Amino acid sequence: MTNVLITGMGAISPLGADRRQSFAAALAGRCAIGRAAPDIAQWLPQVLTAPAAAEPSSLLDPRCAGLDRATQFALVAANEALCDAGIAAHPDDARRIGVYVGIGFGGAQTVDALYARLQQTLRDNGNPAVMHPLSVPRMMANAAAAAVSMQYGLHGPSYTYSVACASSAVAIGEAFRAIRDGYLDAAVVIGAEAMLTPGAMLAWNALRVMAKPDADDVSRSCRPFAKGRSGFVLGEGAAAIVLESETRARSRAQAALGEVCGYGCSSDASHLTAPSSEEQVTAMRQALAQAGLEPGDIQYLNAHGTATEAGDVVETASIRAAFGAAAERLAVSSTKSMHGHLIGASGILEFVLSVMAMNAGALPPTATLDEPDPRCDLDFVPRTARHDCEVSAIMSNSFAFGGSNVSLVARRHD
Amino acid sequence: MLEDIVKSYLIDNKGKDPALFDNPDLLVSELKLDSLDMVEMLFEIEDRCGFQLPDPMRYAQMHFSAMLADIEQAIREHNNGELPAFDLQATSH
Repeated sequence: MTNVLITGMGAISPLGADRRQSFAAALAGRCAIGRAAPDIAQWLPQVLTAPAAAEPSSLLDPRCAGLDRATQFALVAANEALCDAGIAAHPDDARRIGVYVGIGFGGAQTVDALYARLQQTLRDNGNPAVMHPLSVPRMMANAAAAAVSMQYGLHGPSYTYSVACASSAVAIGEAFRAIRDGYLDAAVVIGAEAMLTPGAMLAWNALRVMAKPDADDVSRSCRPFAKGRSGFVLGEGAAAIVLESETRARSRAQAALGEVCGYGCSSDASHLTAPSSEEQVTAMRQALAQAGLEPGDIQYLNAHGTATEAGDVVETASIRAAFGAAAERLAVSSTKSMHGHLIGASGILEFVLSVMAMNAGALPPTATLDEPDPRCDLDFVPRTARHDCEVSAIMSNSFAFGGSNVSLVARRHD
Repeated sequence: MLEDIVKSYLIDNKGKDPALFDNPDLLVSELKLDSLDMVEMLFEIEDRCGFQLPDPMRYAQMHFSAMLADIEQAIREHNNGELPAFDLQATSH
């Protein structure tokens, strides 16, 4: 087995057009949440969204204009991560490099546009059979993986994981395993999501899990672990990392941004949406055990922290159970307070921010935590970032509808 | 006009050399379009005329000019012999 290093990272998120902008905004406690666009607000005037800080198509070759928005996000993040890692298209060992993607609802924009066109065609007494021939390739869940593997000529396995909010965390974990166990030498891992569309937002609204607008400051409406929390805000974007065996990275003298060293995963097998503490604890303990770390070795944990009534209380209890006495010294934050919930992309975006926090010794806050829920009694880094911290290892949690729990551990690689 | 729509699409979206279309005997096969390229190209017409062109792969065996004539005939059959005025700009993608 080999060590698995992080040699590149990228992001396009509500907080910034790249990973450095995103991290700087997170440290500044800037909340990128606002009222939904008119096409959504006409039906859901109270709904909030966290749109990406940049239009992905503006950062890509014009030939990418026809791709689904989630695929465009994926390409932007992958371009940054691969550039960061110094990996160009068509590498000599292309068969040893895989593409691992996590996405919750692939092709949401294409599907919404398809039904909007169908409705309009029927209203106009037109022929609904005339539909764009690329509709299926655009909406298929593995469209992003296909686009990245084709653009970079990567011939290793091209996998897509759709595990709701844990999708891209699973993608990181599975790529980590494949490299650690010698099936691959490197992988591009991407999480992407783009479903700020009328159809998707109507569906999410029906679940009654969306945050209500804050009367004083709409941007501060998502309040994980706070007494007055009311739910999450959907965001969009993508993040990417390049994972590489230590041998491959050393052979080309590529510096590492960290090492992925622990991956825990479990399933609640109990309820479609309600979380289970027992299995969250299992995932965290598995990740720690695989990393060979004790709870006290982790200094920062990026919580799933969705700001739902049940989710935050259960996760707090789970962290306490997994970390024991070390929970008192653990800094925990939910960056969803700022960038919203990117569903399939949330796990990897939060992992990227966590690795950057580890390297910078600066912890992004739970920016909107003015008054904590007494049941959520950990150090949630309230309101402002914490600087000059010694961070040698981080954990990132992703807990999904459907009961999938994933915890990832990374440590410094100096 | 039909010719302009198809040529513009192939030049702007598929990177075809405009000089190719100077050849009156140009074969569709010389455009090196795969099956997906072909249906994408035809969608540019279908989107404007509101019906699907039948059996698109047969065009691969034709001259470019014969393909355009065939498409025009299909459109006229759907419009009582008329050829409607199409906007060069596609309506949607």
